[in-house]
Amino acid sequence: MTQFKIGINAKMDMLKFKNLGQEREKEINKTKIENINTYQVNKLASVLHPAKIKVKVARIKKETEDVKSFYLQPINQEKMPPFLPGMYITLIIKKDGRTYKRAYSISGSDPNRSYYRITIKKVTNGMVSNYMFEECLENDSFTILGPFGQFTYQPLRDSKKMVFIAGGSGITPFMSYLQNDHFIKSIESLTLFYGAKSEFDLIFKKEIDEIAVNNPKIKVIYVLSEQKRDGYAYGFIDEEKLLSENLEGKSIFVSGPTAMYFSLNEIFKKLDVPNKFVRHDIFKEVPKNLQNETFTLTIKMLDKTITIPCHGNETLIKSMEVGRVKTLIHCTVGECGFCRSKLLSGEVITENSKVRTKDQEKKYIHPCVTYPLSDVTIEVPIK
Amino acid sequence: MEEANNTFDVIVIGAGNGGLVAALTLQKKGKKVLLLEKGRVPGGFASSFKRGRFEFDASLHELCEYGTPENKGEVYYLFESLGLTDKITMIPIQETFSIYTLDTHEQYTMPVGKEAFLGQMEKYVPNSTASMLHFFDLCEEVKQALAYLNETKGHPDTNVLMEKFPNFMVVAPYSVQKVLEKIRMPIKAQEILTTYWSYLGSPAESLSFVHYASMIYSYITNAPVIPKNTSHEISLTLSEEFTNLGGKLEYLSPVKEILIENGSVHGVITEDNRRFLTKHIIADISPHEVYTKLIDQEKVPDKAKKFVSSRVLGARGLCVYLGLNKSMEELGLDRYSYFIYHTLNSNVEYKRMHNLYNGNLVATLQNNHEDTSIMCLTSLLFGDVFDQEVTEENYYEVKEKIAENMVRSFEEATHVNIHEAIEEIEIATPVTFARYTNHPDGVIYGYLAQGYDNLLPRIMNEPNEMYIKNLHFCGGFGSRLSGYSSAYLNGEQEALKTFGEMKNDTI
Repeated sequence: MTQFKIGINAKMDMLKFKNLGQEREKEINKTKIENINTYQVNKLASVLHPAKIKVKVARIKKETEDVKSFYLQPINQEKMPPFLPGMYITLIIKKDGRTYKRAYSISGSDPNRSYYRITIKKVTNGMVSNYMFEECLENDSFTILGPFGQFTYQPLRDSKKMVFIAGGSGITPFMSYLQNDHFIKSIESLTLFYGAKSEFDLIFKKEIDEIAVNNPKIKVIYVLSEQKRDGYAYGFIDEEKLLSENLEGKSIFVSGPTAMYFSLNEIFKKLDVPNKFVRHDIFKEVPKNLQNETFTLTIKMLDKTITIPCHGNETLIKSMEVGRVKTLIHCTVGECGFCRSKLLSGEVITENSKVRTKDQEKKYIHPCVTYPLSDVTIEVPIK
Repeated sequence: MEEANNTFDVIVIGAGNGGLVAALTLQKKGKKVLLLEKGRVPGGFASSFKRGRFEFDASLHELCEYGTPENKGEVYYLFESLGLTDKITMIPIQETFSIYTLDTHEQYTMPVGKEAFLGQMEKYVPNSTASMLHFFDLCEEVKQALAYLNETKGHPDTNVLMEKFPNFMVVAPYSVQKVLEKIRMPIKAQEILTTYWSYLGSPAESLSFVHYASMIYSYITNAPVIPKNTSHEISLTLSEEFTNLGGKLEYLSPVKEILIENGSVHGVITEDNRRFLTKHIIADISPHEVYTKLIDQEKVPDKAKKFVSSRVLGARGLCVYLGLNKSMEELGLDRYSYFIYHTLNSNVEYKRMHNLYNGNLVATLQNNHEDTSIMCLTSLLFGDVFDQEVTEENYYEVKEKIAENMVRSFEEATHVNIHEAIEEIEIATPVTFARYTNHPDGVIYGYLAQGYDNLLPRIMNEPNEMYIKNLHFCGGFGSRLSGYSSAYLNGEQEALKTFGEMKNDTI
């Protein structure tokens, strides 16, 4: 039987095989040394997703009695990273030796991306919003994280006929949409329902009207809950008002207080709006049955263990902020998973829907949406 | 005292598939191991993320070389020895591949099992059986020869090779195409058989026959599997086994410098300026990064610099993850994987895939709860077209267009409307992969498998390519090339070599 061969004969093939290593060495040896320091794609990644951005407050504008806008300009770079409308940043505030992180939608920018605008409503007992409202001055500097977020328009998923529903300061992400030419060009129609207590609480009304008046695609319906006035609808954004617009085949984006999400979701369910056509901006739901009691939170870090008090009415992250413990939080509402920690012991109430299946089984939690029911020990991957 | 705390038998850099297995293997052997990971979760590419009611696997398609308890593959044996098999639920996929062509409108579906595969091929391509049988014989010999090469750690006995694996030695220097032509396989059968070429990222004319044969043979003889709860299930189980045994795993700890003394590994410094000492390092990151960024350039031998300069970065990946609001039955699709190319000719398609909107892709599809399903479309890009054409100004628009093009491609090939069923969507580009893994230019396949950088030359020369003593590489840039099973097996291999070297350590 003749030996199987590929080339001239089997012997040569085998020799060729034996020489594969030498051939490789030869090829490597004759290579000229290149100085490889930068990779285009990694450079682009660091521009689009910087670890953090140092900004200064270039301008503060009072929008209403209890709402202010802050124009954040980069300090060490010319431009802010590109972002999609609907995205947010995480603002880091340091005060009295404590570090607070809060997520705010980007409410605007300019074509040169020389700034991001964020807009903050003063909330009773809101640590950060009160600080920003009362103490922050122009030229103050901060560190921000981001941009992040999934409250973005996806042409493959979303309808070209859009409905935006904003409640109060929930208008902020939609302002980025209204300013974005690419988005406006992509869609066929847009109806914005914007609800507030009174006309004085409508943030950006002038800006919105200016954009809408110049664009026949955009229709705005203002809804005031505590004031009857001509030119405005009265009451809440309810089924009747929604049905004044044909919702069939339209994508509905909602941003506002949690209570509004729940009442609207009931309506969407009743009207059989498919899941794919309803998007929510990040929001936080405070669960029922919280314990009005103080417990002990033990945090196992890489090389040390810290024990601090925590309260049944507050998330573990909030207790860590108050207790001066470093946190990894970004979104603050359980969505991004940056604060993922392992629950080693104790009972908690937590929101699991954004936790990976295997992580749930192995007792990982997102502390920003976790409330203690007893003394709790968690493990956090930080130093 | 502090010195002792900061001194380890071995430091593993990167908790990807290779790094996790390497770390666990050595921890199980009683070594003091430090595993440093730059991210917050284990696994590197082997991870998952949630959107709405869907959990997406970031990268795993099918895990090959696993098999079943009755028909164990190499990875099964590895996981068994690490005590993992009862902690992970694997679902077998009882199919190999379906292929659809956009230009020539062909469609072929191949089953699992040698007999069935052969029979189906004969139906599609009459008179292909003889060459297919010859192919399977070669596959079997390749499989055994590779096992022998592994056993002998790159120092095989030529006489044993000549005697036991003569045909292996004959085919070893050649490409898939060259060998299939030589065994007179009908062209159509060759083309169908090479469908998986994109999994290895090199076309038939330049991809090593041995590499391809060992891979496809494993798919045909051992049904591939997928973990029930995504690859994160495997990564998390590996990492928790490691820490439960006392291994030290530090997240958010990128290494900024590898310390070298007298041409030998001495330790590492992390980005937050902590110093750890060791005589052994296993790097589950690219040699590009190690030799050009992490080591003092004065201490990098010229040979190592040439080694890096000589190598070509492999495929970049584009992924579209879709949560669909219909089940597979409602969609009218009943298979797990769908290969979509314009034509069956891999050499032509490889060239086409140097374009951003090439439309070639692999789709995977599986049912999810509540009558929904999860689809992942993956398209490869070769060369540096993405690096050159995409800027911060056009990035988001390009990303949108790429995804649209890929979804359209799938719909055109299968005649199934999926875009109306999209409830969740996420798009990953080389930027995304660069962001999460730090791979140079966001490549997903390590180095291009071509010519002298194919599987065999890599394995044969590995012992000579340790330019710094006791510095090993594992994972996708390693000697077994990329892919889940390669990375796991390579992780074990480098751990065992390191274990052997430790015996020579002076105290």
